[in-house]
Amino acid sequence: MAVDVLEHGQLEHHEVAPPAYPGGIRRFTKGGWLRALWTTPLAFGLATALVCGIRWGAHWDPVWDLAPLLTAWTIVTPIGFLIGMGAFDYWFYWISGQRTRPEDHSAHGADSWRDYLRINTDHKVIGVQYVVTTFSFYLIAGVLALFVRAELAQPGSDFVNTQSYNGLVSAHAGLMIFLFIVPIFAGFGNYVIPLMIGAPDMAFPRLNALSFWMLPIAGLIMLCGFLLPGGQFAAGWTNYAPLAEVNPVGNIMFQMGVQWAGASSIATALNFLVTIITMRAPGMTFWRMPLLVWANFTTSLLVVLATPFLAGSQFMLLLDRVLHTNFFVAENGGYVIGYQHIFWFYSHPAVYIMILPGFGIISEIIAVFSRKPVFGYRLMALSLVAILILGFSVWAHHMFVAGMAPWLRIPMMITTLLIAVPTGIKVFSWLATMWEGRIHFRTPMLFAIGFISMFVIGGLSGIYLGSVPIDIHASDTYFIVAHIHYVLFGGSVFTIFAGAYFWFPKMTGRMYNERLGKIHFWTTFVAFNVTFFPMHYVGLQGMPRRVADYAPQFADWNMVSSIGAFALGASTMLFIYNVVVSWNRGEPAPSNPWRSMTIEWQLPSPPSKFNFDEIPQVVGGPYEYGVPGARHAVFQGTGVEVKEPEKVGAH
Amino acid sequence: MRKSLIIQLLLLGVVVGAISAAVGFLIPWLPELGSTQGKRIDDIYVLTSIICLAIFTVVAAVSIYTFFKFRAKPDDYEDGAPIHGNTVLEAVWTAIPAALVTIIGVYSAVVLVKNEHVPANAPVIEVTAQQFVWSFTYPEIGVTSGILRVKEGETYELKMQSRDVIHSFWVPQWRVKQDVVPGIETTIVVTPTKTGTFPMICTELCGLGHSTMRTSAIVLSAADYDKWAEEQKSAAEAGGAESGKQVFVNAGCGGCHILADAGGAGEVGPSLDKVLPELTADQIRESIVDPNKVITPSYQPNVMPGDYGDTLSDEQLGALVDSLVSTSQKG
Amino acid sequence: MSAIAEPRLGGHDDHHPPVAHASSRVNASLLGIYLFLASEAMLFGSFFAAYFFARVAAKPETWPPEPYHLPVFLAGVNTIILVTSSFTVHWALHSIKTNHRTGLIAGLGLTMGLGLTFLLIQITEYLRIGFSPRDLAFGSTFYGLTGLHGLHVFVGLCLLAIAFWRAVRGQYSPEKHLGVEIPGIYWHFVDVMWIVVYVTVYVI
Ligand code: HEA
Ligand code: HEA
Ligand code: HEC
Ligand code: CUA
Ligand SMILES: [Cu+2]
Repeated sequence: MAVDVLEHGQLEHHEVAPPAYPGGIRRFTKGGWLRALWTTPLAFGLATALVCGIRWGAHWDPVWDLAPLLTAWTIVTPIGFLIGMGAFDYWFYWISGQRTRPEDHSAHGADSWRDYLRINTDHKVIGVQYVVTTFSFYLIAGVLALFVRAELAQPGSDFVNTQSYNGLVSAHAGLMIFLFIVPIFAGFGNYVIPLMIGAPDMAFPRLNALSFWMLPIAGLIMLCGFLLPGGQFAAGWTNYAPLAEVNPVGNIMFQMGVQWAGASSIATALNFLVTIITMRAPGMTFWRMPLLVWANFTTSLLVVLATPFLAGSQFMLLLDRVLHTNFFVAENGGYVIGYQHIFWFYSHPAVYIMILPGFGIISEIIAVFSRKPVFGYRLMALSLVAILILGFSVWAHHMFVAGMAPWLRIPMMITTLLIAVPTGIKVFSWLATMWEGRIHFRTPMLFAIGFISMFVIGGLSGIYLGSVPIDIHASDTYFIVAHIHYVLFGGSVFTIFAGAYFWFPKMTGRMYNERLGKIHFWTTFVAFNVTFFPMHYVGLQGMPRRVADYAPQFADWNMVSSIGAFALGASTMLFIYNVVVSWNRGEPAPSNPWRSMTIEWQLPSPPSKFNFDEIPQVVGGPYEYGVPGARHAVFQGTGVEVKEPEKVGAH
Repeated sequence: MRKSLIIQLLLLGVVVGAISAAVGFLIPWLPELGSTQGKRIDDIYVLTSIICLAIFTVVAAVSIYTFFKFRAKPDDYEDGAPIHGNTVLEAVWTAIPAALVTIIGVYSAVVLVKNEHVPANAPVIEVTAQQFVWSFTYPEIGVTSGILRVKEGETYELKMQSRDVIHSFWVPQWRVKQDVVPGIETTIVVTPTKTGTFPMICTELCGLGHSTMRTSAIVLSAADYDKWAEEQKSAAEAGGAESGKQVFVNAGCGGCHILADAGGAGEVGPSLDKVLPELTADQIRESIVDPNKVITPSYQPNVMPGDYGDTLSDEQLGALVDSLVSTSQKG
Repeated sequence: MSAIAEPRLGGHDDHHPPVAHASSRVNASLLGIYLFLASEAMLFGSFFAAYFFARVAAKPETWPPEPYHLPVFLAGVNTIILVTSSFTVHWALHSIKTNHRTGLIAGLGLTMGLGLTFLLIQITEYLRIGFSPRDLAFGSTFYGLTGLHGLHVFVGLCLLAIAFWRAVRGQYSPEKHLGVEIPGIYWHFVDVMWIVVYVTVYVI
């Protein structure tokens, strides 16, 4: 992958690229769905032949063994598909030793909906692809959650059997985390960040396209688990060894799905980092970047450094199963808890990967709708960095009762609790930004203010868990489930809805229906609390998590949660309806409906194919609301005098 | 103007604080308390609640106040005051949370150290977990049981081991929890203070029977406990060979099956009181040795351990089947 | 195609993007490969973690466990081979910077030869070492680390082969040699990683 753009900008000669839309048999040889139609099964066949051939040659019995086959299928088939779609065409061409072609931009931009269904190198198209795809996975994972709630509505194992239940929960969480929350932020980032920093595209557009296409692959792999003998992976999203290793083969679908999602997320993060470092508009110093850019910058650092640990942990599980190695087999010298250390060394930073971009979105929205500068801008940026650093030093708080080295608990408890400090800075600064503002409570702002209180509840339940003695009681109960959903739904999902409404006009060129948006907010807000607040109580009272059946004493509150969950489903329908109808028939959006200062809003809605005719000049901070005459960015063409204003900062 | 804002906010804060405090302290969030360790945990819980509810009150009050007070008219195109920050305020809201979490941290560390202190002569109970049964061995008495029995007021050290995957020991009323991990021994220190029967729950996902991996922890008064221990000891010494009933108890069958005669109270598997009368001795033996061969309708395969054929000796198995046949004939 | 990459094509109509402002002196591709290698280092880190869990946390009686032992000397020879190849790849890069095409081709060829030798020795070592990945966590972590590294050598060789092929076809010049530089950086990384693996697994 690293070979991406080796020769860019250094070519002297070029050859003419083949026409974009060929006819006849060439339609099957040019990158696209038609070629994928035959390369995918071909790759599948090759993988099968390879595994069976080796096993047959080596006299291993049985020749048809599902575990190695699934491994090979989930590695090779997607590669076949990507080759078919043309994701690697440029690189193959380059490998062949030809002179590099100039970019003809035939893969850039969208003129019709079809252009969203092919390899596209335009960050705006990719952004939309990301958001739509990941939101579809949200719906699927949400429906799985409804199955879960249906089972839990009453005590007793009445709707699905226990193994299927575990499969439902695992797939629900796996899809929500790896195919919704983590990548949808990459989607918003993709759309917005190049615009915000004044770049014509991401640094590596082809890699960007590849990152996107790995996602549906990851999702399909995970969903295919439902079809396997023995059922879906059912060891929770944390997939602890050794249960994961004795689980039916479906577990491989988690291990491999996560690899694709992880590779996608590393590649995107790398792209963000390089883009933000090397492609900012003139005058856009780090201290003038919008906080969303800061947030994605820190998140990307987390992704690049932490995700390999997830890959490592799942590879070791896979090797233990397929090659019968002993990484986590206690009888043979393996260290069982080692898995948890490696997993959480990724997955704790991952929870900040799932919230920091949301913090960024909220900072944008609150400043714009309060018509005030972000309070304490520099400290807001620095607190992101503090969370980044602290985030790497707290992973073992997921293991307070796991039987790990006892001395590790107290230092990890202290660092865990300290994360409240930078997070608190952010919360208080948002509140201070709103204080005495002139606030317009449009839907994004409603979600933002709802986010603050809901996330604080989730964060505070995190403080309970951070205290080792309390965690000893509360760990692995529904209290954790409540914490998870307050931070991930009340936190991340609220920011996603806020961001979706906020940039909807920019992305689609149309306004959404404000009334429906507000109804959506209030129903979501109420249903969310009805669903998840009681879980704190049942958890502390004695209901463990990941159970299909529970003691009758918890029946009433579980019924309440289930009703709330279905109401949440209904509220989601409102959102879908609003988006679908507004996208087709909404009022055309002006370029800057929110009177924001950041650069993306200075462009038409949606922006033109290459974003800018000229790169803007940044002359001030991004949130100078209420400062007379302040500008964030100017375009030469506008005739505005370019002068460096005095420093903008926290004080 | 500013002053009146602050006063209104304070009033709102009092109201929100009162509501939060009511929710936080009037609802009995924690279950009945049953151990010395639990008492300390409840104390730190209360301290943390006070801090967290205060923080929540601040955030909620400001949010609500902002929501009603700083609302702009739709046609208001003015901006707010360009306030970029305030060093004093920022220092305050960095320092106060830091101090508060330090308090929580230090107190938690103290509680942790106290809770894990094992007195020199603490009796040991060996806990073994496997999919999906618990068993408890009392080295001093020399018996194994599927139900945990302890003496009120005594500090125990539970040494726990797993035969297969990770499980986790939890008695909510005791507030103690610890994973049971293959390959290592983990321990729990607990001093039960209340007599009664409490649920003992596996809280780590351990496979398809996880939600049913439960048994009871029975806390007996000193006299009752000694009586029970005496009975067990003499029974073990008397016959040399275990009676079928003892095998039933020791192998943990009672954790999953109801059998009034042997004190089995579990509801994971079919009630043996109900199904045994319809089974022949051979069928019973087969159900124990190879439980997956015939699956009782509406139950799942792979829940009942499949290794009783190996872990029970022939005599034990014979005694077990005999006693199961005879109990069913009695009833 | 990278947007930064087209200084000449910067246009003002809808068919070509404007030239991005270069906000850093660092070349985007080089920055990209460095970040990628940081990520790779962490992947190795996860396997090192597993290694130390097996070696320290799981409290084995001896390490390496009886009756296994490691061919420290042979691996030492291999280390020297790989370290040498770092110099040859550096020489290749230096040659093209000073416009010596033969030096470039020879340097790349030599590097590939050394890399291939390393791999072959590694494979023979595997065949004769007397334990497999299935033998205890010791075997698993040993093969895990050295195998992961071997895989990287293989990838490095592929990258070098591409560079070699392009060099033969004359695609590099003193001004334009990122295609050599990046496999070179990757190769240095593989080399440094090996030293860490060697020291941890064989020496200490
Ligand atoms: C978006 C995701 C997200 C976020 C942001 C967080 C944030 C935090 N989490 Fe959470 N957590 C998860 C997602 C997240 N978590 C998930 C998914 C799990 C379960 C995994 C599984 O097992 O399946 C989990 C589990 C989990 C555990 C393990 C529990 C267990 O399994 O036993 C712990 C324990 O310490 C914990 C703690 C914390 C803490 C201290 C924070 C802090 O970052 C919170 C900081 C925020 C605040 C505190 C509020 C705002 C601050 C102020 C207003 C300032 C003043 C505050 C004070 C003075 C207290 N979390
Ligand atoms: C981002 C994260 C995220 C999100 C958004 C959610 C959302 C929801 N979650 Fe989930 N959850 C997790 C992450 C998340 N969860 C994690 C990490 C776990 C831990 C798993 C583990 O233990 O391993 C978990 C576990 C978990 C449990 C505990 C299971 C157990 O321990 O046994 C429960 C139980 O109620 C639950 C419920 C729900 C519900 C009701 C929602 C609802 O909010 C969902 C609302 C959405 C919908 C209802 C979809 C609406 C769609 C439609 C109505 C269909 C329309 C379709 C078309 C138009 C085509 N979740
Ligand atoms: C972890 C739970 C568990 C444990 C422990 C357990 N069983 Fe079972 N048992 C089950 C389940 C579930 C079934 C029903 C499924 C089946 O038929 O295998 C069952 C079925 C049976 C049956 C067949 C009943 C019928 O209707 O045919 C018998 C007899 C039985 N168990 C006896 C025992 C004995 C004796 C022991 C102890 C040595 C024991 N069980 C331990 C869960 C358990
Ligand atoms: Cu044992 Cu869950
Ligand atoms: Cu965490």
